[in-house]
Amino acid sequence: MLWLYLHFPHLLLDHIRRSSENTSALVIVEGSGQKVIQACPAARDLGVDANMRLKTAVSLAPELGIARADQQQETRILEDQARWLYRYAAHIVLVPPNGLLAEIGSLQRLYGGVPAVWQTVEDVLQKHQLTAWPGIGHTPLAARLIARNGKGTCTADKSHCLQTLGKMSLLAAEFDERTCTRLQRLGLSTLGEVFRLPPADMARRLSPETLAYIQKIQGSRPDPQTPWQPPHYFQQQADFVQDIEQSQGLLFPLQRILSELEKDLCWRQQDTDCLLLVLQHRHAEPTRLRIRTSGPEHRAEAFLSLISLRFDQQPLQAPVVSLRLTVKRFLGREAPGGQDLLGESQDLNEAWHTLISRLQARLGENALKQLAPQADHRPERAWIASGVRRTSRAMKTTANQLPQRPLWLLRGPQPLTEIPQAWFTGPERISGGWWDGQRVHRDYYIAQLNNGQLAWVFRDVQEGWFVHGWFG
Amino acid sequence: MSELLNTLMQDARVWQGHKHNKTTQPAELTGYQALDNQLGGIGWPRGALSECLLDAPGIGELTLLMPLMQRLSQAGKTVFWLNPPHTPYAPALAREDIDLDQIIMIHTEDKGDFLWTLENCLRSPVTGLVMAWPGKLAAREIRRLQLAAEAGSNVCVLFRERHYADQNSPAALRLELEPGDQQGLKISVVKRRGSWPGQRCSLAMTHRAGLFHHEAPRVVQGPWPLSAR
Repeated sequence: MLWLYLHFPHLLLDHIRRSSENTSALVIVEGSGQKVIQACPAARDLGVDANMRLKTAVSLAPELGIARADQQQETRILEDQARWLYRYAAHIVLVPPNGLLAEIGSLQRLYGGVPAVWQTVEDVLQKHQLTAWPGIGHTPLAARLIARNGKGTCTADKSHCLQTLGKMSLLAAEFDERTCTRLQRLGLSTLGEVFRLPPADMARRLSPETLAYIQKIQGSRPDPQTPWQPPHYFQQQADFVQDIEQSQGLLFPLQRILSELEKDLCWRQQDTDCLLLVLQHRHAEPTRLRIRTSGPEHRAEAFLSLISLRFDQQPLQAPVVSLRLTVKRFLGREAPGGQDLLGESQDLNEAWHTLISRLQARLGENALKQLAPQADHRPERAWIASGVRRTSRAMKTTANQLPQRPLWLLRGPQPLTEIPQAWFTGPERISGGWWDGQRVHRDYYIAQLNNGQLAWVFRDVQEGWFVHGWFG
Repeated sequence: MSELLNTLMQDARVWQGHKHNKTTQPAELTGYQALDNQLGGIGWPRGALSECLLDAPGIGELTLLMPLMQRLSQAGKTVFWLNPPHTPYAPALAREDIDLDQIIMIHTEDKGDFLWTLENCLRSPVTGLVMAWPGKLAAREIRRLQLAAEAGSNVCVLFRERHYADQNSPAALRLELEPGDQQGLKISVVKRRGSWPGQRCSLAMTHRAGLFHHEAPRVVQGPWPLSAR
């Protein structure tokens, strides 16, 4: 087995920097807010360094952007990285707070050797604008130690790996302080010297745990790793150092997230029709925006245009601290149904979905309605308005079986205020609704009013006359 | 330059009083022979606005568009009803053999949304016909719609009140609708491209209520007193 370990020395920093357009100095401070733990290159140019007190850092760079480290957030960001790595390697282990372990021994044949795997991972890291120190080792711990010390080289050779490990100091090998002191008192200063001790001796002189640790590095003791399983949904978050007040400012980070979504969907060979965008505010309840498309969609630009339409309609309530995009609903991707091999004719189905999604994004879900007849005798219940769907159901009713009805139905019956000029057909008695309490008992006539309108009028039980429709 | 002029002439965009140009504009037949004849044998212009000016609904204005709606919906084109004053009654539409899956009714809250929606519908290749009830429109807004209509190749019919007939409008076809004798529809052409306006015709629209003239009114007299009617 061969393991690749990716150590992200400043993951949080990378994560924040890639979702903002400006590249001003930025530092990450520890939880208590006293000490700088990560500094971006722009900050380092100004003299700010890791392990510096925050006060000193701020006096060196007054415009410094400050983000506080948050363990939960780091775990989440790490998981985001595992998600893209999963496309390249199957067996992935999360090593919080900032490491990823992947088994690459089985990938050599797929990629054509370890150098090709190495190259692929480096390319992807660059594409994601992330800094990572890779390391290859024959055991998980060996890979981890090599990567964390920045000594990673692209080799599958076990002896080379042990040689690198052998040169490591005790502190670099991450022994705890007590063990470190005891080993130093034994006159040992590198890991290689520790390796040469007889195991029984080591267990007796040091602790059994230390022996287990050393054997796990060497590979003489099994070190099982539970593989990470990617979740069945897509989720990405962007965090901002400075609150974003204009919705335009959200489009830049969204663009990156949406293009990752597009890749993710492409990789799954699936589409989606519903995105959930949650905007976190500093002092207010988060805004939840549900962006629906009328049909399956996977293109980032289509999502982006819908979201920007939505932002136009709905200005931000409060400055945004972070945004999160979640997709939980996936639909199978249909093969393009066009018969046109060269794609010269426009895809009407797609154009239909684009148009309807645009309209719904701006006007709201309920503004668009499709009509259908419904089996009920009462005229006001003989039709139904439903949300828009693209269907191709061939529901054929024989037209002649349907009774004569007006093309316009009034929203509610209007009192008849004049005596009609002429009467045509009638009465057609419609009586029903006793089963649900909405009783209707009417005689319908077709009559022409004095200004020429052809009306559908009725007389109800109380002898009142009403207009219920126009023959438009 | 002369090429440009020729195009203008051919499209009948330059009005020439001395001759009736046959326009080469794409159009859809109305389905009523008498009206098609009056419109130079072409019918509803595509890629341009049409206006129907009428006082009150219920005089046969929808029946006028019914043949077109049937044809387009069955061809898989979408028909939009934008801000209709009443509910288009689904059982009646189904009776007219219209594919209801292709009918979409849209209600907008303000005029900005209305114009935006109409423009988007007009530009889309899936649209066949847009019927819109705009209410009050400024000349500038109609012009904007006309440009949007030219971007697509759909039929767009605006239903407006009759008193707008006096105002000018960039619409390519303007029809004034009035109720005629025997439940018919009297149409006078207020404006059309490439020819003189002023044609009149009358269409029989009795079929919209299933009435036929040779029959006497089929009203059954009830036991109620006649004065109640």
